[in-house]
Amino acid sequence: MHPTIRLVNRNLTISLNPGFLVWQVIFPLVYIFVAGFAYTTLIDSVPFGNTSLDYPAFIASGMIGFNIMNSTLVSGIIIWNDRRHGMFEQILVGPFTRRNYILSNVYTIGIVGLISAAIITAIGFPLFFKSVEFNLLTIPFLVFASIVGSILFGSIASVISTRLKSSEGFNVIINTVFLFFAFVSTAFYPAEGAPEPLATAFYLNPLTYLVDIIRAGIFGTITEFVILEMAVLIVAATSLFIIAIKLLTKLDL
Amino acid sequence: MSSILARSLSKSYGSVLAVDGIDLDVRSGHVFGFLGPNGAGKSTTIKLLTTLIPPTNGTIEILGINANKNPLEVRKRIGVVLQQPSYEPNLSVENSLEKYGMMWNIDRKTRKERAAELIDVFELGEIRKRKNEDLSIGQRRRVQVAREFMHEMDLLFLDEPTVGLDPGARRKLLDFLKNKAKTGLTIFYTTHVLTEAEYLCDEIAVIDKGKILAVDTPDQLKNTFGQEKTIKIHLSDRHQKLAELLSEIGDCIIDFNTGTDIIIQSSKSEIVLSKILQILIENNIEVEDLSAVPTTLEEIFLKIVRNSDAPNN
Repeated sequence: MHPTIRLVNRNLTISLNPGFLVWQVIFPLVYIFVAGFAYTTLIDSVPFGNTSLDYPAFIASGMIGFNIMNSTLVSGIIIWNDRRHGMFEQILVGPFTRRNYILSNVYTIGIVGLISAAIITAIGFPLFFKSVEFNLLTIPFLVFASIVGSILFGSIASVISTRLKSSEGFNVIINTVFLFFAFVSTAFYPAEGAPEPLATAFYLNPLTYLVDIIRAGIFGTITEFVILEMAVLIVAATSLFIIAIKLLTKLDL
Repeated sequence: MSSILARSLSKSYGSVLAVDGIDLDVRSGHVFGFLGPNGAGKSTTIKLLTTLIPPTNGTIEILGINANKNPLEVRKRIGVVLQQPSYEPNLSVENSLEKYGMMWNIDRKTRKERAAELIDVFELGEIRKRKNEDLSIGQRRRVQVAREFMHEMDLLFLDEPTVGLDPGARRKLLDFLKNKAKTGLTIFYTTHVLTEAEYLCDEIAVIDKGKILAVDTPDQLKNTFGQEKTIKIHLSDRHQKLAELLSEIGDCIIDFNTGTDIIIQSSKSEIVLSKILQILIENNIEVEDLSAVPTTLEEIFLKIVRNSDAPNN
């Protein structure tokens, strides 16, 4: 078996613990079903492109992006945990190169992102199937969002993992990043109608772009703006990925 | 044949020279002890030899492979237990052994057999299902050392492996390593516990401030640096004038004197001892205990390090 695949196997084993699964499945379910239906009494429908969606369909589709972000942030901190528990050095005195280690993390993050997207799509499907406009681009859009989103958020977690040294600092930063990404985005509510500067802040957040792309794929509302969002996401993901790789390559032992 | 051959090996971090042009020659099948005080350069040397960090200068050949050019080929044939703990917190002891074997590409059947064997040898049976994060420091260390034997190797680096182990576990580990060395495994062993080095090692190097101060077999080190014997006198009552009388003997140094306990170092211990007895009898001084003991490796180690600290060095 190739060394990178052996490391991916190891990464998945240590990531997929009960706490992670609860975080990945139970939390989005609570958001989709509890918040989705509870807010329906307050929010009748949400404007989306030329159409409008009922709130459960809106939040269920938003949760796909939310879960990609959430799971890949958690997977991205494998590097932090490896450093903290001495496994980073232990792996690098084993039959592996840094390249193997870095690639294994990229693949792990990608796999976790894809699985998370698939789970939430399956769970949320009954809620948004009435509004779904399946076309040839639906699946490619979802796969694109899963992969690019995973690389982007995984790279952010990797950068944080390589730069910080104390657990306290790491927890503060990762929680702040999570809160900003999760709630200053269009995952839970639309940007339209939000007061300034909040509406602008939504578009400083990559999760907004990710969620817009996912919704565009699911509800068949692919516009020029969505294509622009895809381009922005690719540039951001690539830049952060390069930074993460450089920092990991130079990480002191 | 040499398992480790290093020449003019240096490592500097900015202006700090952690390893200063050392030469090492570790013969295959030997247990090589690497001793030194904290910050002497032991762990940096291990990091260099295991290819974890590149040297600033010098060459390293491990098992006949140029480590500077082919670090991965070296790492495939060595085992390393680093000084810092390393573990997967949420894996059980059994799973972490199994997973480590998988990382080394060991087939499933062999992994299961080896894990069972190591659980038995390292007495991990009672904690086999317990997660690493729930283990004590000593138990975690035992798992860390056991784990390294999940894969085959020709050379094993152990950086203070007995830290946190109780005396029983420590002795069992040393015996296990001794038996492994008999099968041809070369072991590079750093420790602070000098009795361990004396028990286990065929050859010992003493390092301080990044330089190797002495390399030899434990017996030869004793012959070279340990000609002196330590004479210990314990009196029933304080005797003010005894130290004064002893200082007139010559050929000895009074190392320690509380009035009732006196420690003397001498390279002519037999002559000095008879003179001491004469003084004690002539002055009617009551003695509770009088002994002359050979210099231990610990004393030799301290002497070597002390000599290197002397101003003319």
